[in-house]
Amino acid sequence: MTHTGLATDRLSLAYGDRIVIRDLTLQVPERRVTSILGPNGCGKSTLLKALARLIVPTGGEVKLSGKTLGAIDTRALARQLAILPQSPRAPDGITVADLVRRGRTPWRGFLAPWSEDDGRICAQALEQVGLQEMVDRPIDELSGGQRQRAWIALVLAQDTRYLLLDEPTTWLDLAHQLEVLSLLRQCNRDHGTTVVAVLHDLNLAARFSDHLILLGADGLVASGAPDEVVTEDRLRQAFGLDALVVPDPVTGRPLVVPR
Amino acid sequence: MKSSILVLPVLLLGAVLLSLMIGQVVLSPLQLWTGLWSGTGPGALTLRVLRGPATFTAAGAGAVLGAAGTIFQILLRNPLAAPDVMGFMSGAGLAVVAGVAFGISLPLPLLSAAGGLTAAVAVALLSVRRGAVMQSSLTLILVGIGVSFLASAASSFLITRMPPQEAADAQRWLVGSLAARSWQHAAQVCGLGALLLLVLALQVRALKVLELGDELAAGLGLRPGRARNGLIGTGVLLAAAGVAVAGPVPFVAMMAGPLGMRIAKVTAPGARLCAAAMTGAVVTILADVVARSIVPGVQLPVGVMTGIMGAPYLLWLLSKEAEAGEL
Repeated sequence: MTHTGLATDRLSLAYGDRIVIRDLTLQVPERRVTSILGPNGCGKSTLLKALARLIVPTGGEVKLSGKTLGAIDTRALARQLAILPQSPRAPDGITVADLVRRGRTPWRGFLAPWSEDDGRICAQALEQVGLQEMVDRPIDELSGGQRQRAWIALVLAQDTRYLLLDEPTTWLDLAHQLEVLSLLRQCNRDHGTTVVAVLHDLNLAARFSDHLILLGADGLVASGAPDEVVTEDRLRQAFGLDALVVPDPVTGRPLVVPR
Repeated sequence: MKSSILVLPVLLLGAVLLSLMIGQVVLSPLQLWTGLWSGTGPGALTLRVLRGPATFTAAGAGAVLGAAGTIFQILLRNPLAAPDVMGFMSGAGLAVVAGVAFGISLPLPLLSAAGGLTAAVAVALLSVRRGAVMQSSLTLILVGIGVSFLASAASSFLITRMPPQEAADAQRWLVGSLAARSWQHAAQVCGLGALLLLVLALQVRALKVLELGDELAAGLGLRPGRARNGLIGTGVLLAAAGVAVAGPVPFVAMMAGPLGMRIAKVTAPGARLCAAAMTGAVVTILADVVARSIVPGVQLPVGVMTGIMGAPYLLWLLSKEAEAGEL
């Protein structure tokens, strides 16, 4: 095991009595975009939550820089790693600015007032997602794509080295899915943020990720670069899917065409 | 949306003035003013003995109930979630009635706090299914309504065993009453209220994160369970402080938050709590003014008035929720 970055060591996870992940050992590559893929119910989201310590493993452990996740102070962890859960619900009437400001929580002392740094980082996050013109708009008035970008701005304001997202593209149309994924790609490029996302769409994942983790009903099927992971054999193994894999005419990445 | 922060303090001042002026005898502001400084005349008597204590008790009780209601409404994301609907206030009321019935000589705030907390724990325990404590807010609210009925029934039963005069007083108090309040009551609820609101002010930042959902809150470095329990504790104690001086006045806790939010046009939790406290005070004071002047020579309990105002609101809310498919 290396002592850098985010890794799991013989990790087992369960929901109640149902074991969803068993003895999973893997390393999330540093400063890369990683996607977790797999059929419904295979434990993609569960794995992501365990990486963010939202659920406690039934066996094994998650490590961050060689330290067991459970041993890290809650706030110290929140300064290193941010997670955006699937379809979060915004409080009624909350504005974009107010939502994003709450991302600064782990950096603020108990009674510390709002600082210039906090303001600067929030402004930066809003600019990154392109919502700087909409700071005073209530979230419920935004379009689906804008809303998702506001949530991403919140976790960007958390200013962490690791950014975990649970299905950030769900409910969005294709154009907005591309927009969100390009945004994550850009965060990775500009700040070296390690991004881990659970995604549904194999082709988008292959296009936007450096690294894929493919889970099947019985655990890990493959992990590695997209062209190593997205192959006809492995798709059959993970999804029971009979598909043709051809090079994407635009990017040259693997493209899945179901038969 | 531009917030209108100044409306509520002005309304509150107006309500206080109105409450001091109106009653069996209507006094002019000038009479009150001379009474305040000279210490003699009808103004002085009204201020010091009759309407002054009741007004400030109403303001304090309304403020703590309003803030308490809003805590639960934010935590459970449901306008029905308020300590009066969910049985915490009936529980506090039951504890006070039981204290009188069995001659337990503890201070009323302690008794009502114990009753309120017991009711809250009962609601939490009865909502547990398959190990998960935080069920849907609707489950908690429905269980709370059940606990509320149970506590009210137990109070009624205890009252039947009291001597007639005591029973009449207790019955009146259980409706929510500000009759015969002294400066002690006003000082008690305002003092305890100020203390608890200070504690609440320190918890607002946690509430702001908690309202984004447990997972995001945990991701932002909060321990959601611990923070929520702390807020529930403050909420129940605030409600209990109100019950101790005014009885379980219905609907103030439930109405104050949504009403204050609309009047002040605010959305952030801290501002909502401030608005709710002031609105609660205004509603309770005005309800008391109406209660003591609507029938000449008869002083109705304030709870009758808040009930008359609150019941239509509750029905409207229920029909709205049913439409939205939440019920």
